[in-house]
Amino acid sequence: MSRASEGSGAPSAARLVECLTALEITDAIGIPDNDTAQLFERLRCHPTIRLLNVTREGEAFAVAAGLWIGGRQPVVIIQNTGLLESGDGLRGTVGRMGIPLLCLVGYRGYSKMLAAGQDTASGPLDAATLTRPDIDSVALLTEPTLTAWGVPFWRHGSDLDTDTLVRRAFEAAAQQSQPTVVLLTRGLT
Amino acid sequence: MLTKDEMLAPLARLREDQIVVTTMSVVRPWARHSQSELDFASADSAMGHAADLALGLALAQPKRGVICLNGDGSMLMSLGTLATIVDSGVTNLTLVIVVNGTYEITGSQPLAAHGTIDFEAVARAVGFRRTYAFDQADEYERQLPEVLAGVGPVLASVCVEPGSEGPLARRPSAASPYLRTSLRESARQLRDALSG
Repeated sequence: MSRASEGSGAPSAARLVECLTALEITDAIGIPDNDTAQLFERLRCHPTIRLLNVTREGEAFAVAAGLWIGGRQPVVIIQNTGLLESGDGLRGTVGRMGIPLLCLVGYRGYSKMLAAGQDTASGPLDAATLTRPDIDSVALLTEPTLTAWGVPFWRHGSDLDTDTLVRRAFEAAAQQSQPTVVLLTRGLT
Repeated sequence: MLTKDEMLAPLARLREDQIVVTTMSVVRPWARHSQSELDFASADSAMGHAADLALGLALAQPKRGVICLNGDGSMLMSLGTLATIVDSGVTNLTLVIVVNGTYEITGSQPLAAHGTIDFEAVARAVGFRRTYAFDQADEYERQLPEVLAGVGPVLASVCVEPGSEGPLARRPSAASPYLRTSLRESARQLRDALSG
């Protein structure tokens, strides 16, 4: 399942942190990338959200599972490259345990993919497409992978819909008792 | 080298209200020593992720100890978790590495780096507050109270004889009570027990 929601402006880390605070998120676990660096900086000194850096993205899902079982409400923040690395960590912990978990995933290569005339509905991927030098293959694989894993996701690109979009993904996670993903299609300001 | 029972029996006797997370070849043996609602089997789960799951539990429950009985093969799959544990500042986590040098569940194939990797030294280098290594039952039993007491994170590497535990399965007829429910249900049972 996907829900595309995009705007023209770059979303702000401050707005996203406000959303997480309003949702009473207690812990943020992950690894920063260039696009989410501002978010991590803001969370590092947040009064109520504890930030934990992990060494590999798959760890984030297991830590989040333990936190939720222990009564906390975590969020995972990683890049899509790390998401692909996390396959079994996600599947075998929060997925298999049916844990409601909001994940914010940096969408590396998204803009470049669109600029190259490809998008998520361009059809089956082949070796020629996956090796094109003008496209980052992780962008091509992100949404098909989430679909294959049965993880609902939404694309986020604008401050206009930050509150609505993040809350929608959070509530879907709670209602369906499973992880959901918001794909951050642009770098946070 | 200890037998599994020599490792688990003293631990079960000394265990108080700590959460115990087990995985792989100690899942069923531990259930023969303990049937606490605070036992959690990381089985039918992701191999290599018991220690980080335990870390999350420990961070969420700072007033309660968490003991993770991890395998050496599992630990090798996520060695970076040792750094994450230290970086987290957690103080209530005891990580026991059951070193048998094999992937016992799949037929005891040898691990990479068996005989060369020193988990106790790695943990010490990463910054664990206390580290131990045991290969004799009497010394292990004598020092176990110290391992479990005080401030962590603690890592204890325990050399255990290779065994013959077969594949794990969760099913209503399982001999181990904590394998009778699904992983999903087990997670909720532990969550309920911790919130009660």
